[in-house]
Amino acid sequence: MSEESSTFAPSTVSYRRCTVNLEQGTVSFQSLPCANLEDVLGGFGRSFQVLEQRTVKNAYSPENPLIVNTGLLTGTAVMTGLRTYFSAYSPLKRSDAGMPGAMWAAGSGNFGNKLKWAGLDELIFEDRSSTPVLAVIREGASGPVVELEPADHLLGLTGHEKIMALHRQYPDAHFAVIGPAGENYQNVYMGAVVMSTDNELKSGEPKSRFAGRGGMGSVMGYKNLIAIVAQSRDKMPPVTSAMRDVNRGVITNGGSARFQPVSQGGGGGTWANIEVLQAFHAVPVNNFRPKGNDDVERLFRDKVEMEFDVFAEACFRCGIRCHNNVFNRTAWGGRGRLQAKYDFEPLILFGSNLGVHQPAQVSELIHLCDLLGMDAISLGTTLAYVLDYNERHPEAPLFNGATFGAFEAIKALIQETGRGGNEGIGRGVKRLSQQLGETSYAMHVKGLELPAYLPDTNPGYIFAIAGGHMSMGTHMLLAKEGVTTVEGWAKAITTTGLLQVGYDMIGLCKFVGAGMGHELVSQAIAEATGLKVPPEDIVAAVRRAYLRGLALELRQGFGEDEYTLPSQVMNDPNPNMTLPAFITRAFIEELKERVWSVFKPEIDELRGAWRDESSEA
Amino acid sequence: MQVTVKLFASLRYRWFEEETRQFPDGSTLLEVVDRIGIPKKELGITLINGSHASLQDVVLDGDVVALMPHIGGG
Ligand code: SF4
Repeated sequence: MSEESSTFAPSTVSYRRCTVNLEQGTVSFQSLPCANLEDVLGGFGRSFQVLEQRTVKNAYSPENPLIVNTGLLTGTAVMTGLRTYFSAYSPLKRSDAGMPGAMWAAGSGNFGNKLKWAGLDELIFEDRSSTPVLAVIREGASGPVVELEPADHLLGLTGHEKIMALHRQYPDAHFAVIGPAGENYQNVYMGAVVMSTDNELKSGEPKSRFAGRGGMGSVMGYKNLIAIVAQSRDKMPPVTSAMRDVNRGVITNGGSARFQPVSQGGGGGTWANIEVLQAFHAVPVNNFRPKGNDDVERLFRDKVEMEFDVFAEACFRCGIRCHNNVFNRTAWGGRGRLQAKYDFEPLILFGSNLGVHQPAQVSELIHLCDLLGMDAISLGTTLAYVLDYNERHPEAPLFNGATFGAFEAIKALIQETGRGGNEGIGRGVKRLSQQLGETSYAMHVKGLELPAYLPDTNPGYIFAIAGGHMSMGTHMLLAKEGVTTVEGWAKAITTTGLLQVGYDMIGLCKFVGAGMGHELVSQAIAEATGLKVPPEDIVAAVRRAYLRGLALELRQGFGEDEYTLPSQVMNDPNPNMTLPAFITRAFIEELKERVWSVFKPEIDELRGAWRDESSEA
Repeated sequence: MQVTVKLFASLRYRWFEEETRQFPDGSTLLEVVDRIGIPKKELGITLINGSHASLQDVVLDGDVVALMPHIGGG
């Protein structure tokens, strides 16, 4: 479908960009016409067009911009429209040719709303500051104002402490900050951006959200940009009756029900995945090697509820309420201190995958990772590799010799890594495993650590462009549908799977549960912005944006050999998993051939259009 | 015929964990689900004897049926 079928020309829509040169301390504003529908939808669909124009050979170089932007529906009354995106060349995702890959990370919270309400759609931070600074964005009499201020007073504080300190200074603002990990960017490539939530500011409890993937917090650290403050009045547009219908649709459409609280008749968030995947012995245990036993069951919801109070909470005005916050019980049975947030990823990656099965201990590790401001997926998966290595090499273990289940030793490693004292872990599993010469059980693809879904169940990871499950929606395909054929996987990757990235354009959360081709997304856009974009045009724009990301990977030197899974999957299939072990080297070769035969001609065709667009810009 | 039904995650909390029940011979998986009272839209994964099955599949005496809710993540 071409853009002509949209009922508007993208160039009639403009967006407001602020460029901050951190080295010179200069700030400039531009109002820019959209070059295409990807620009209109926003998020990585727009930021990757900027990254594509840059030559960046090292993520920590002045040439690497950090782009902070929102999606079309961020800051609107559409439920879950809260996303902010951070894009740059990543210190973590790196090709064997030594070039950094383009990445984005997304986070909720209320920061994106405030950014937009202050009058900005995009902020580009160029170069780096020689001293620690924070950027303050606020509404001025004639448009947004951006100023840089010293940030020395924030150094060393955890992400949550920084947020609360800034809250005292800017009570009507929201914040995107880095933790100690981002400050120690030289040794920590997996620093996250920590984002404030309303709930956090009101309660004072560490209920931040995270834009974690790809080390965008470390890029902030390199730039000496410690925090971004977005200050504005609340400008949530009035909820019309049509918008109420859209939001009712979000709540009642089957897709979001699984993320709603059990008490509300929902599935209870991603936590439920543990129980379903355990039925197939497909929950990662001890570095992605399920043992076929019931150790994992201690992390089932009803078991945790015996010990803790679990309460469903939400981001600003979101009725999906997908956060499962776990609180201590007080002596008289009431709700005590917040222990941690329980989502599938951190629960598994700091629990069973490290051989830790006590809920209280898992909570402590999750909490520590969050406070230090690291990506839970990258840290958890790298730690699992270290523990695995140490079990294989008891005579010469790494670091403090931690092995699976050694809670205190694991905690010490997290502490050390987050404060910059362990570059082996902090620089991610790809580098560490290559240095050690043992790569077969290093769980990453293209330098990005795998999330908590076994690679044995998802060859789609190969074609994810910004993290295994965030950018390729095939991670449940085997468990859900039992698909094991090359045709089935090629079709899933090249049709529906890639559309996963669309959420990271439009500003909605993935848990909204309506796919990119869903009428509800078009209705939401029409109601919130007045723009008529048919579902097929949204799908086409998301596809082009995905392909641009894939083309950028190729340009940054990702070679054919890097489009693969950790070799343990093929060489030593796990006999304990009851789902079929279907991934062989021949399977991967055939799958790649089929997928590339679809994508490469499309990329070639699009390259001409991209050239024209950039020469017009 | 006798069929063992196992429920998982939110389904287990709301109905039961595992029960062996009588069903009319020739029942489809959908009929089994209907008799238990689980709305079809709540089902994500359905297995008969550990293999993925559709709601139209016929269940046989002695089969073990596993019903799971929708799952997702990202
Ligand atoms: S679905 Fe969850 S993460 Fe997304 S906006 Fe709602 S509460 Fe926040």
